[in-house]
Amino acid sequence: MSTATAVDWQGPGQRTGSRWGFTWRELLWALVFPRAGQRILPTASGVILIALALGIGTAAYNTANNILFITLSLLLACLILSGVLSWFNFKAVAWRLPPPPSLRAGQEAMVTLELRNGKKFLPTYGLWFEVTTNPMEPPPVGPLQGRPKDRPVREILAAAEKARQRTRLFLRGRLDPGGAARLDWIFKPTRRGRQKLALESVGSLFPFGFLKKHIGSGLRHEVMVWPAAVEYRRHSPAAGRPHMGGERAARAGSGGDLLALRKYQGGDSHRLIHWKASARSGHLLVRQFAAESQETFALWLETSAGVWTHPEQFELLVSLAATLAEDLFRAGKLTSVALNSLPPQPMRRVRDFESFLDELAVIQPVAEERPIGRMPGSADIPPVEGRMSVRKNVITFAPDGARGVAAYVDGEKTATA
Amino acid sequence: MSMEKKRPQLSLDELHQLKWLLGSVLALFSVWTVFYLDVDAWTLLILNTVAISAALIWPGWLARVPAAVHIGAFPVIVICFVTDLWTNGQILPAMIRLDLMLILYRGISYRQRRDDLQLIVLGLFLVVVAGVITVSLAFAVQILAFTACALAFLFVVTLVDATEAKYPPVHTPLFTWRISVATPSWIRQADWPRLFARLRTVVDWRIVTFASVLFAGVVVLSGLLFLAIPRFQLENSLFLDRFMSKKARTGFTDNIKFGDVTDIIADNGLAVSVDVSDPGQMPATLYLRMVVLDEYREDSFRLSPALRRASFGQEPNAIEVDGTERPHAGAPVYWTVYLESGVSSYLPLPGSFERLHFRELQSILNSRNLRAISLRNEPVTMTAYRLEGVNTSPLLSDPGFAENLRNPPRDRNGAPLRYTRRELVVPAQESDQAALRAAVAEITGGATLSAEDFAGRACRWLDTRHDYSLQSATPAGPGDTLTRWLTSKAPGHCELFAGAFVMLARTAGFPTRLVTGFKGGTWNAFSNNLTVRNSNAHAWCEMWNGEGAWLRVDPTPGSAPVTSANEPQGTAAFAARLDRSWSARLDSLRIFWYRRIVNFDQGNQLDTLRAVKSATQQAGQRMRVSLDRLVLAVKTWLVSGWDARRIALVMTGLLAITGLGWAGQLLLRGWRWRIRRNDNNRRADPARREAGRWLERLREKKGEGEPGTDAVWPDLERVRYGARPTWPELEKVFRRARQAWRGRGKSPRLPS
Repeated sequence: MSTATAVDWQGPGQRTGSRWGFTWRELLWALVFPRAGQRILPTASGVILIALALGIGTAAYNTANNILFITLSLLLACLILSGVLSWFNFKAVAWRLPPPPSLRAGQEAMVTLELRNGKKFLPTYGLWFEVTTNPMEPPPVGPLQGRPKDRPVREILAAAEKARQRTRLFLRGRLDPGGAARLDWIFKPTRRGRQKLALESVGSLFPFGFLKKHIGSGLRHEVMVWPAAVEYRRHSPAAGRPHMGGERAARAGSGGDLLALRKYQGGDSHRLIHWKASARSGHLLVRQFAAESQETFALWLETSAGVWTHPEQFELLVSLAATLAEDLFRAGKLTSVALNSLPPQPMRRVRDFESFLDELAVIQPVAEERPIGRMPGSADIPPVEGRMSVRKNVITFAPDGARGVAAYVDGEKTATA
Repeated sequence: MSMEKKRPQLSLDELHQLKWLLGSVLALFSVWTVFYLDVDAWTLLILNTVAISAALIWPGWLARVPAAVHIGAFPVIVICFVTDLWTNGQILPAMIRLDLMLILYRGISYRQRRDDLQLIVLGLFLVVVAGVITVSLAFAVQILAFTACALAFLFVVTLVDATEAKYPPVHTPLFTWRISVATPSWIRQADWPRLFARLRTVVDWRIVTFASVLFAGVVVLSGLLFLAIPRFQLENSLFLDRFMSKKARTGFTDNIKFGDVTDIIADNGLAVSVDVSDPGQMPATLYLRMVVLDEYREDSFRLSPALRRASFGQEPNAIEVDGTERPHAGAPVYWTVYLESGVSSYLPLPGSFERLHFRELQSILNSRNLRAISLRNEPVTMTAYRLEGVNTSPLLSDPGFAENLRNPPRDRNGAPLRYTRRELVVPAQESDQAALRAAVAEITGGATLSAEDFAGRACRWLDTRHDYSLQSATPAGPGDTLTRWLTSKAPGHCELFAGAFVMLARTAGFPTRLVTGFKGGTWNAFSNNLTVRNSNAHAWCEMWNGEGAWLRVDPTPGSAPVTSANEPQGTAAFAARLDRSWSARLDSLRIFWYRRIVNFDQGNQLDTLRAVKSATQQAGQRMRVSLDRLVLAVKTWLVSGWDARRIALVMTGLLAITGLGWAGQLLLRGWRWRIRRNDNNRRADPARREAGRWLERLREKKGEGEPGTDAVWPDLERVRYGARPTWPELEKVFRRARQAWRGRGKSPRLPS
C-alpha cells in the first residue's frame, strides 16, 4: 500500500531534524545499513578510473616515484570531489508523485512527478526517476481453472514482467535554486485492476559519471485501472423501447418539475431565484428543475464462473458493461447497477459511477451457479431501495458465441461486442 | 504571473558544441607535453596541433570524411606503430608516438561517450609519462590544467548523457567526399562566438566561484593525500627510463675535445641545484667534479681505458655508496644535489664524501680513487642524490696513486705498467716537447719548485701570455694544437688554459690530469640553494703534490690558481652573488618541487608527522602557560585591596562590557536581518530590484515635474513595495520607465 500520501514530498530536501538536514549518526548508520534501493555502482568511466588508480598506485609503490603518487592523489581527490558534488546535487531536492485521477485500460494516462530544489544558490542537474506500474494481482496465465501453484514459475514471472511498465524520467537541463519542475510520463495501462504506481528510485550520474547513484524511494500509490472501453454494436429494438412505466429520471434538467433548491452561483438566471426560500434561509437559492422524463435503465452484471469460462470473454464482458454503463450514465439513463447477488446501487452522482467502475476494475468470476441460457428477466432483479420488486429495462449480459458478449434489455438482445 | 528572470540554459546542441570544444582543448593540452618530453615527435606534434585546431574551429568538415578513412584509420595507426618500433627499437618513444596518433584520430573524429573516455585516458598517459620521465615542474602545471579540463569535460559529457537525447553516430558515405545528410545539428550550427556569448549569459559567477573553490579544494586535498599515503621502499628502480635512451646534451663525457666545454657554456639552462642543510658549509667557489681525464691524445683529453678498468668497480643496483671520508662527529650536514636530465652520466661531486644516497636503486660505476661516480645509463630524468660528510678541500688524497708511484705495478715480464705514468705523458713530437721544456724553464727559472709554487708560477705565466676568451684562435702549423696555442699569444678558454697547464706540469715532472665539471653558481635568495647553470661549466686541473694528494689548480684567468684554505664559506661568501631575479623565483619553485614533492619519501613523511606532533605539543604548552599566567594574574588582582574607587571602576567596566555586548548583539541581529532581506530580495524578486533601480534613476526627474515620470512612479512603487498580485504588467511599466528616463515619457491617457 501507499507509504506516502499523495501530497507528501520525499527526498533529501524533505528531511527534518537537524538544522542542516545532516547528522553523523544518520550518515554512519547509512554506511552500515544502506536504505532499501540505495546503491552506488561504478560506471564504465568509474571502472576506468578505479583501474587507473590501481595501476598507478601499484606502479607508484613499485617505483617509489612521487610523480605517480601525485597522480594517484589527484585521482583519489577527484573521486572524493565527485562524491561531494553528488551530495550537493541531491541536497535539498524533494519530489512527489501525485497519483493520477483516473486510469482506464487501453487509454493513455499521464503521471506527473513534481520536483523542487530547496538549495539557495546551487542548481541541480542530471537526475532521473525510475517510475513503474505493476499489477497488484498476478496476471492471468493460461486457463482460469488452473491453480497458480501449478503454473511454471518462469511463466508467471514472464507474465508479471510483461504486465509491468516502467520508465525513466530524466531531469533535462538545470533545476535552478528555489525552482520547481514537473516530469510527465504518458503511459497506457494494458489491463484493468489495481496497480501499484511506484517511484522505485532516484538516480544520477552527476557530476562526472564515475558512479551511478541510486536513492531508494518509498513512494508508492495504489491506483485503480478501470476496464477498457470497447466498441459495441447496438441493436435498434432495444434502443427505442417505449417507456414501460419504469424509473423516472430524478436529475437536474430543463423540465418543468421542481427537483430541488440549491445555492445561487454566478451566472444563474435571476428568474430562477426562489425569493421566498431565499428570504427564509438568508442565502440566495435558485430553483432546480428535473429533466424531462426519459427511458432509464438498470444494469445487472453477473459474473458466474460457470457461465464465463474464457478469460478473454470475461474481460470483454467487463469492458462492455463498463462502456455501456458509461454511455448510459453520460446520457443520464442509468439509474442503478448491481453486481451478482449484491443489492443494486443507485447511480446519481459521478462518484457513484466511479465506485461502480472501481468495482468493475477488480471484479472476477464468482463460483455462483446460474444455468446458461436462462433468460435474464426482470423478476430476478433485486429491488432498488425497496421501491419495487419487479423491474423493467434491466440490462443483463450473456455470452454471444465462443468469444463475443451480448447485452440484453429485458431479455432482448440490445448490443453485442 | 511570474516575471522572475530565469537564467537561460544551454540547449543540447550547445552542450554538444561545448563538449567538442573541451575535448579538443584537452587533446591539445595533452599533446603539448611533447614540448618538454624531448621525444622525436615534432612532426606529429605540429600535425596534432594544426589538425585538432582546425577540427575545433570547423567541425563540419569532418562530416565530409568518407567512412573508408575511419575504417582504415586504426589498421594504419597500428602499422605505423609496428614500423616505428621495428625501425627505432625503443618502445617508449614508439608508444608516445602511437598515443599521439590515437589522440589525433580521436581529436578529428566525432566522438561518442566511450571515445571521450578514450581521449581522456590517452591524454592522461601522455601527461603522466612526461611527468615521470622529466620530473619537471611543468608537470605540476600540466597535470593541474589537464585535471581541470578533464573534469569540466566529464561534467559536460554527463550533462549531455542526462538528456538521454543522444545523437546517432555520423554515417558518411564510404568513398564520397560530401557531407552526410545525417549530420547532427550541433555540427551544422557550430558558431563559437555565439556559444561564448551564450556561456556568458548562462554562467553564474557564484557557481564559477564555487567551482573554483572546489577545485582549489581538490588540489589541497590531493596534496594532503600525497603527504598521507603511506610509503614503503620496495627498492625497485623506475621502469620507464629503461625504455628510452637519451644522449647527453652538454657533452660531459669521458672524451672531451677542445671546445666541448665552451659549447656547454653557451647554454644558460639549469644544470645542477645544490641544497645544503647547513649553508655555512658551502664554499665561496664550489667546484663540482664530474669527469677526470688522464690521457691526452689527438687534441683531446679522455679517460684512458686502462684507468677506467683499474678505477671503476661495478656496483650494480646500489641505493647507497660509501665514500672515502671517515664519519665526523657532530650533526651531519647533508648536501642534496639535483642533476637535471641530459647533463651527463657522471655525477657532479663537490669532493670526497662519507656516504651517497640515491632516491631509488641505481646501476652505477664507482671510482673511490678518482672520486667519480657514473651512472650506467644516461639519466632521462632529474637525478637526485644526497651526500653526507662532504669535504670540499682542494686536496684529494689518493693513497693508491702514491703507492703506485712508489711501487709501480708491473706486468708479467716485470716491466712497470704504463698507466701509472699516463699522468706524465706529453705530446710525442720532439718539437712540441722542446717548446714545452722551454716554457717550463722560463716559468721555473731553473729552480726546483714545489707543486704549489710551480702551479702559481705557471698560472701567472699563462695569464701574462693569454687572454681569456670563449673564441679561441689557435695559430695554424705543424705539431700539437695545445702546444701551438701555449707558445702563441692567442686568447683561449678554460679547456685550453687547463690543458696547457697539464702539459707544463707534466713536462716539469708533476703528474697532472684534467678535470671537467662546474664551477661557481648563484645563490638563490628565495630557496637558499646554489643554482648551477650550464654556463658554469668549467675545466681545471689536478696536480700531484708529491705528498699523497691531488691539488686542485685552476689556471683560467680570474680564478685563484690554488684555492686558499682560508676561503670564506657560507651565505656571506655568496652575498655578492645573490640572485633575486624572476628566473631565481622560478628556480626556487623548481627547488620546492624537488625538495617537497619529487624527493618526498618515507623519511620525510615521518619528519612531517614529527613536526606536526611537535607543533601541536608546543602550541598546547604555550596555551597552558598562558592560561596559568592569566589565572595567576586574576588571583593576584582579586586578593589585592578593595576600595570604593576600585569597586566603582569594576562596576563601570562591567556595565561597559554589558553595554558593548548588548550593542553588538543588536548590530549582529540587524546585520543578519539586512542580509536575509537582501538575500530574499535578490533571490526572489529581481522585478522588485529592477523597480528599485528605476525609482532611484527617476528620483531627480520626478522633482522636475516630468509627466511621464509622474505617471510611471506609482506603478514602479507598487512593483517595488506592493503585493505581487497587485502588480501591473511589468514589461510595460519598465518600458514606460525607460521612456521617461529618455525624456520621451507621456502622461497617461485618462480613462473615458
